[in-house]
Amino acid sequence: MVTNNKYKRLDACRDFIVDNYHETLSLSVIAKHSCMSPYHFLRVFKDTYGETPNEYLIRLRVEQAKKMLITEQCSVSEVCEKVGYTSLGSFSSLFVKQVGLTPTSYRRKLWALSAEAYCFPSQAIPACYAYHFLGKLVK
Amino acid sequence: MITSIAHATIYVLNQDDALDFYKNKLGFEVGDDMKVEGGFRWLTVHPKSKPQLQLVLAEPKEGPMFSKDAADKIRSLIAEGAFGAGVFETENCHKTYDELIANGVEFIQPPTEQLYGIEALAVDNSGNWFSLVQR
Repeated sequence: MVTNNKYKRLDACRDFIVDNYHETLSLSVIAKHSCMSPYHFLRVFKDTYGETPNEYLIRLRVEQAKKMLITEQCSVSEVCEKVGYTSLGSFSSLFVKQVGLTPTSYRRKLWALSAEAYCFPSQAIPACYAYHFLGKLVK
Repeated sequence: MITSIAHATIYVLNQDDALDFYKNKLGFEVGDDMKVEGGFRWLTVHPKSKPQLQLVLAEPKEGPMFSKDAADKIRSLIAEGAFGAGVFETENCHKTYDELIANGVEFIQPPTEQLYGIEALAVDNSGNWFSLVQR
């Protein structure tokens, strides 16, 4: 079991990732905030949260990228840079792996579905909520 | 076979205030915070260790499901504490209670031995009651 003190340190690392996801983050840089060795930190983080720090970082970056692609007008390259990737190729590959579409296709698809500019379409949220709050039944 | 629950709704009076409470006082993480067409804000939070269960923080507003009268009634029932938000689990109820008290969370009942564990009872800043349980 993770002790309360250790959990607090893990939490601090997680918050550090949230605050700095757009920077270049290595395991050793993140682990420093936990006062644990990188290997030990990696193992405890995964045991506690069910994903490695890197998996968490990728998930966070892709989620931010999805939001930027829909709600902002910046280019895919700019989004890539803003979420902390230096290589557009790596960013696109990770995005495809997580979302199933390239960043450009994702933006094109969701913009086409939305009745309002720079908003997510109702299809982006579970249908029961879309119907409940927006009166839209997705068929 | 249903394998898990992915989203549950907590009706709140104001999404910004609720976000502040669940994120900064309870220590939850934001799952989604998206502008959806029709002026709807899709806002979800989750405990840091459980991103699989998203709590949807939604304001009852006049719309397809609620008349203005119904939405107003729900809002006043939330404020009166007529709804419960559910049960949050902790490994140490006393410690978490102390931490949440320090964060400014209002408790109705301090940690107390129950048949199913140690439980404290708190209220969010909309009026929803929730239990904090150590099993």
